[in-house]
Amino acid sequence: MQLSDTLLEDRPEQTFFEDPALDRAFGVVMALATEVYVLRDRARALERKLEAAGVIEPGGLDAEPGDEERAADAGDREAFVEGLMISLLGKQQAKGAS
Amino acid sequence: MDDRSFVAAQDFLLASKTYWTKRIYPELKKTYETAAGAAPAPPETPAEVAALLEGEVLYRYFSWLERHLQRFKYAGRYGLVPYHDERRAALSAELRDTDAELAPGLEMPNYYQRVDIHQHPGGVWSDELDGYVYERGARSTTPLMGAAHGDLHHRFTDLVAARGGAKDILDMGCGFGKSTHPFCTSFPTARVEAIDLSGPCVSLGAHDAQTKGSGNVRFRQMNAYETDYDDGSFDLVTSTMVIHELPPREIERMFTEAARVLAPGGRMAHLDFYTIDGPFARFIHYGHGRRNNEPFMQPLAEMDLHASLTEKGFTNIEVIPFKEAEGVGESGNDAWRFPWTVIMAEKMP
Repeated sequence: MQLSDTLLEDRPEQTFFEDPALDRAFGVVMALATEVYVLRDRARALERKLEAAGVIEPGGLDAEPGDEERAADAGDREAFVEGLMISLLGKQQAKGAS
Repeated sequence: MDDRSFVAAQDFLLASKTYWTKRIYPELKKTYETAAGAAPAPPETPAEVAALLEGEVLYRYFSWLERHLQRFKYAGRYGLVPYHDERRAALSAELRDTDAELAPGLEMPNYYQRVDIHQHPGGVWSDELDGYVYERGARSTTPLMGAAHGDLHHRFTDLVAARGGAKDILDMGCGFGKSTHPFCTSFPTARVEAIDLSGPCVSLGAHDAQTKGSGNVRFRQMNAYETDYDDGSFDLVTSTMVIHELPPREIERMFTEAARVLAPGGRMAHLDFYTIDGPFARFIHYGHGRRNNEPFMQPLAEMDLHASLTEKGFTNIEVIPFKEAEGVGESGNDAWRFPWTVIMAEKMP
């Protein structure tokens, strides 16, 4: 079953905001929030398994990371932020009609 | 999808619904009370409440969440429908040998087909796994109660049992048997007949009854207002959260059928949503019906049940608010809840 199979073409969804764009955008936000929670749950489960197997100490991932580790992740962090924020600039990335 | 991700996502949605229940709803009520206090005259109708609230940002989010948390629950990426669909082979095998009495030729009423109640895609009747989907969904229908959701059924059967015994019980609109099993245990020597329009639901009800060893119950696919039982064949007719799913004409027919199959002096006991205190609660309840795909909640709330039952010859009619759990509806507990109501009546001796 694909999610798109459940869409009813002749039934527009109810709207609650003055601009229906917000109704749809908030749906995307909540879908992402669900995904985030699923990932949090999985990461926590993984940590517990690793602790139980003696691979990491209890709370071993909770300590503040050292400068070296943070620096190693800086590039990844910047790329993540740029991917998230670039739309806010309102610029084309491939030339065409405005 | 894996089971862990499904449970995590459903837990997240339930936690969001709980926040809606305990924090957003009380805040909305406060917003309303402030607006009503400033109005030239206190609102008396749901339309007057709507005029005060519908432009409020908080009301828009309240409504959005009520609608869409339920949509995600059923039809989202981690929804009940895709989860069960992926487990189709194993689940349908479980239902293959039940002793449910199915009626493959039974025509589903138009009202039942026209709207997918509870936002359950396809309704609770069109797919063989719908009983499983409904059963899993019903575990979190009332987030306020959490794991104690089953308690409300026992509270209801305790109330019914306190009024007297029963030898022959008919559970109309039994679904997958969540309402029926407490009757089987509260009235262990009774014969219990459980009927529902949905074949997938009665199949699951029968499967669960076999698993639990409930020997005194039979699950049959049948329309509550058109049964094949003889006149006077029951001394107790019951239903739980069924009446509000029917249009008024079908509700009248259901009561007429109950009167027919009850023996003289027999009694009815229904648990549903009916007694609503004030225009704000009415506005919220009517909105819930619209947003949750339950179009007959409002018509039921506007019926005169006492007059309807009197006209059908019932006596000792009682329409009383029902507390589904300890502490609900009390001062200091402003969380959202259904307007639970018990409707009881007796057939003339």
